Amino acid sequence: MVFSSLVFLFYFLPITMLIYFVLPDKFRNIFILLTGLFFYAWGEPKYVVIMLISTAIDYTAGLLINKFNDKRNIQTVFLLVSVIMNLSLLGVFKYSSFIITTINSLFGLNITDPQLPLPIGISFYTFQSMSYTIDLYMKKIKVQKNFFSFAAYVTLFPQIVAGPIVRYEDVAREIDCRTISISKVSEGIGKFLKGLAKKVLLANNIGLVWTQVKAMDYGEISAATAWIGILAFTFQIYFDFSGYSDMAIGLGKMLGFNFPINFDHPYLSRSISEFWRRWHITLGSWFREYVYIPLGGNRKGFARTIINLLIVWSLTGLWHGSSWNFMLWGFYFGVLIVIERLGWGKILEKLPKAVSMLYTFILVVLGWVLFDTNTLTDAWHFIGAMFGANGILGDSTALYLLASNAVIFALCIFASTDIFTKFTDKLQQQKPMQLKIAAIAAQLIILVNCTAYLVDASYNPFLYFRF
Amino acid sequence: MKKSDKKGSHIIEIISCIIFFGFFIIFALITIFKPKEKFSELENKSLERKPKLSAKTWFDRTYTDKLEKYVADHFSGRVGWLDLKSGIETAVGKKEIGGIYVLKDRLIEKVGEPDYSDVDKSIEAINEFSKENDFPVYMMLVPTSAEFYKDELAYFYPELDQRRFIDYVYSGLDDNISKIDVYDALSSHKNDYVYYRTDHHWTSLGAYYAYAAAGEKMGYVPHELSYYDVEHASDSFKGTFYSKTLNTSVKDDTMDYYHDPDGDKPMTVEVTQVFGSDPEVSDSIYYRDYLDVKDKYASFLGTNAPIVTIRTGNEGGKLLIIKDSYAHCYSQFLTDHYSEITLIDMRYIQISYKKIIDVSDYDDALVLYNVSSFAGDTDLKKLLYS
Repeated sequence: MVFSSLVFLFYFLPITMLIYFVLPDKFRNIFILLTGLFFYAWGEPKYVVIMLISTAIDYTAGLLINKFNDKRNIQTVFLLVSVIMNLSLLGVFKYSSFIITTINSLFGLNITDPQLPLPIGISFYTFQSMSYTIDLYMKKIKVQKNFFSFAAYVTLFPQIVAGPIVRYEDVAREIDCRTISISKVSEGIGKFLKGLAKKVLLANNIGLVWTQVKAMDYGEISAATAWIGILAFTFQIYFDFSGYSDMAIGLGKMLGFNFPINFDHPYLSRSISEFWRRWHITLGSWFREYVYIPLGGNRKGFARTIINLLIVWSLTGLWHGSSWNFMLWGFYFGVLIVIERLGWGKILEKLPKAVSMLYTFILVVLGWVLFDTNTLTDAWHFIGAMFGANGILGDSTALYLLASNAVIFALCIFASTDIFTKFTDKLQQQKPMQLKIAAIAAQLIILVNCTAYLVDASYNPFLYFRF
Repeated sequence: MKKSDKKGSHIIEIISCIIFFGFFIIFALITIFKPKEKFSELENKSLERKPKLSAKTWFDRTYTDKLEKYVADHFSGRVGWLDLKSGIETAVGKKEIGGIYVLKDRLIEKVGEPDYSDVDKSIEAINEFSKENDFPVYMMLVPTSAEFYKDELAYFYPELDQRRFIDYVYSGLDDNISKIDVYDALSSHKNDYVYYRTDHHWTSLGAYYAYAAAGEKMGYVPHELSYYDVEHASDSFKGTFYSKTLNTSVKDDTMDYYHDPDGDKPMTVEVTQVFGSDPEVSDSIYYRDYLDVKDKYASFLGTNAPIVTIRTGNEGGKLLIIKDSYAHCYSQFLTDHYSEITLIDMRYIQISYKKIIDVSDYDDALVLYNVSSFAGDTDLKKLLYS
């Protein structure tokens, strides 16, 4: 199930929440587990089994790591069991096609690709439950002895299909003991509707522009059309993904959880390093915590730091999808971050804000070309078109796309800045009551408009199913 | 925060919860309990039926997919929601809604570049049809309204150049096929009411100008426009473009019937929906029952059927028309010049046309399509079936 669907909003959500609120505390985790399984099985009726198996193995590994508290070697074995199991699931279901086609083309072999469909959310829940066994092994957290509580953490429906990647540590306390209050539910509603509006009103609409441009012949399009197209995707992916995270955080609040924030106005960043501290924050911190630092981070000399950075960023790219485009996309950011570490970052800091922001934004936009074109050749042709390789700077197509979508572009640009957040923060200080009343009016408008768009759901893709 | 403020903000929080959950619950309940319709006239589409839950439909995900469509199709106040969406789209300046452009006073269709390999197959099929048969074959490819009004979009999205497309098709047809070019006849009257504002068809007036232009080649003397007794059959026609956009800024269309001045002669119209079954018979080409429903264009010879035969009771030859729905409204002008007209629609015929009609019966054959349907056609090649 996805949040931006009528069945979720009008049936699943009110029924689940009402039962949850009236249920005694001790049954709530079991209820979360059941609803999570139903929510997941709605979209993945078969692969729900894989998730359960992975949950059971990590739970058991956790118990055993705890039991052999004084025998480090045995603990290591159980940690490896958990990590290898999770990575194998990813390897088999997400990367087998990629690995097989690569091997075939390298060695001229002809291994058959089983073409397994990617289970929804596998990249998210494997990373989440690994965080549990690893942290337990590192003695950062306490063991969870109740299976239902652990399973409730893994299957918690707000974040199961598209994050944020909530580490066990983040919610360890709330899993066992959390409070639910009207004021938290109301706060969650606000956050959820903000996310719904981002997804349904902004991302879906601006996404139509990119769908049109993406289908064109990259050898013929004008530079202006190419820029309009990739800018549309730039906004689509941001509002789609951050909207989804907002909805998850909002739902978490309603259930009594505090999930970490996942996006913080990334398009205002003044360097690529900063961009990745503001974009998909939970993924970045996962890789930093469990890959970069264990590899030695920046403590093993300059050369190792650079190698570590490139490894981490290539993996980050590959996490997003199993193709060379994604790998190169990650590597590209790795290289840019290394360059910033070499001193360029210091210069960026001193440049005028507008210059460094534009620099970062353009590099990120170029990255999106790699990210969303189908092959490296397509990406190359598209970037060529952006810089005038087709010899046409602008044409009627570009004017049409711009004129027809000017309002949506303007809204997207506005919503990418922090102007509105700053404004509401100020109101919060000066006129909190008025702000709350205005917020309710805004929420009602969002509800009505989003319903109109969902009833006529001609275009409602979900970008994160492939991660 | 003051104590009263704290209390006030608590009340507001409660209100926000009530609005949020209340909104969902109320619409969900109405949707569940309201009576369900099978067909949406307004949108001209069948509505999804309630899916059946079984192990099979659950595991292959058809149940969940269909349930989502079912809820959307039967959602309470669906038409109001669609109207609202179309209103928002117009307000934010979207020029295109569901493949339709909204102009100041009309809707036009976006006609994209065709797949030329399909077009070439259609051309080849018509050439072969002409070679196989002894009667003269005429071809009439009619431009659609987009061609004449697209300039009204300030920045026009590149569309199929219909003039060039017609030339492409005509130049691919054999020399012995007589090409009837009605482009100029329509273009010179583009300021008259030759196309519907809310529908993809031409009006009776548009069809008249084509009929007048075709007379010389097809060997009849067309009537003057003033000859006809024009009846305004309906002034509340909302066509297919309306169904796609639900745009209310464009005026409803008027539908005219062109009658003989001394009243229409009785005719026999036979519509065969299913081969082997008895045809439905009527005595007029105007099916007035359709004036009471949304799809009013179907009042010309009914909805598309594989084969329709009109025995006009007039003197003249027998004409075979291979056609799309543009021919329906065109037929009203031909009845005076032919004794019998047979319209066959290749989209609904899966066997050789020779098994359906006796080709030796006919004196002339006309292939009549509009550019948009010809450009997307994949059924004309069935003329090659033996």
